[in-house]
Amino acid sequence: MDRLKRLALNEEGFAFDPETGQSFVVNQTGLFILKKLREGLSEEEIIRALTEEFEVDENTARRDFYDFLEQLRILGILEKGAEEVK
Amino acid sequence: MKDLKVGVSGINAVDNPGPGVGVAKSLKEWNKDIRIVGLAYDAMEPGVYMKWLIEKSYLMPYPSQGADTYIDRLFYIKETYGLDAVISTLDAELPLYIEYAERLKEGGIANFLPTKEQFRLRSKERLPEVAEKIGVKTPKTFAVIDYKGLAEALNEIGYPAMVKGLFYKAYKVYSYQEAVEKFNLIAAEWGYPILVQQVVNGEEINLVGLGDGEGGHFGFLNIKKLWITQLGKTWTAVTIKNQKMIEAAENFVSTFKWRGGFELECIYTPEGELYLIEINPRFPAWVYFATGSGINLPARLLMAALGEEPPRDWDYEVGKLYIRFTDDFVTDMGIFQRISTLGEV
Repeated sequence: MDRLKRLALNEEGFAFDPETGQSFVVNQTGLFILKKLREGLSEEEIIRALTEEFEVDENTARRDFYDFLEQLRILGILEKGAEEVK
Repeated sequence: MKDLKVGVSGINAVDNPGPGVGVAKSLKEWNKDIRIVGLAYDAMEPGVYMKWLIEKSYLMPYPSQGADTYIDRLFYIKETYGLDAVISTLDAELPLYIEYAERLKEGGIANFLPTKEQFRLRSKERLPEVAEKIGVKTPKTFAVIDYKGLAEALNEIGYPAMVKGLFYKAYKVYSYQEAVEKFNLIAAEWGYPILVQQVVNGEEINLVGLGDGEGGHFGFLNIKKLWITQLGKTWTAVTIKNQKMIEAAENFVSTFKWRGGFELECIYTPEGELYLIEINPRFPAWVYFATGSGINLPARLLMAALGEEPPRDWDYEVGKLYIRFTDDFVTDMGIFQRISTLGEV
């Protein structure tokens, strides 16, 4: 979670890691999830928030959420295999 | 301080740029009255023609032509035009400047250079020792001189591996055949030994600094290269603050009492480990990045050379972007004629 917390994140979805210099861009859904993860919300809370914010059904939200977590792991933002979210 | 004349080498602002133009820009930003004396090795070095920055330029003999010829040339410049200090920026000339640092000082040419022993630390063979003393790791490395040694090293390391010259060139290889090809290529150009090194996956991060020679320093700038050219030269970079790298640099200057400019190159792994891969005993070509971020390291080096106490503050903003770009201009043939025939212009 340390790396996630130290990311500099702007409203356009540009994320910059001040320790490694890596940067990447996420869409509005990705930005929404990143913010919720940083706030420390649980998986279920984030999935519920996604269905409310983006008007999608729970299955779609769940699938997209786990896809995004996998991408964060690939980028090293979340530790691989670690139970990062509650 | 008026009429201060400072010699700067490495004014070859070409596709493989030397640090000289960045050093000259930094000195001018600190004090616009300083006159920069360009020390060129070729009449075509662009810095010779950049008269708005480098007022006077001289062709220098290659250091390989002998130290006396080289030092005589510097004193000729001192007598005929004036030369209060020199900032040497090129690997090939540094041993000569270090060897004759005292003689130059006695003759009124100030400098601020690493010692001979410090300079030797840059050798890639010494990396493991340096890394251990400053608390970082170093990739597993073998120095080899023949195919047998190469094969044994590759058996130990596996693929991919890096095949490197002692001071220049580095290739990533994926097979024994490829390793042999690069081994021959480097040996033909740079000689032996050849280094075979483990590939460490992670982000390459760099740091430029200026050691005070007593264990402290006059500033650091930590960066990540974002875009490098095919020659491996930095074209875009961003400032970062990697605590492990900054601590390693602090250990480096305090352990070795490093004097002068230096650059450390490291790999930061996803597991948060830092591997030292190179030490450069001089400023890198992108040294102006430090100046643009508020830490004018070349000016601080000059102050130290002149016996003044440079500032030691080095707080900078993370996320500053460095952009190198190509540019062009038109000038008179006369400059080329004079530097070619007279050796100065």
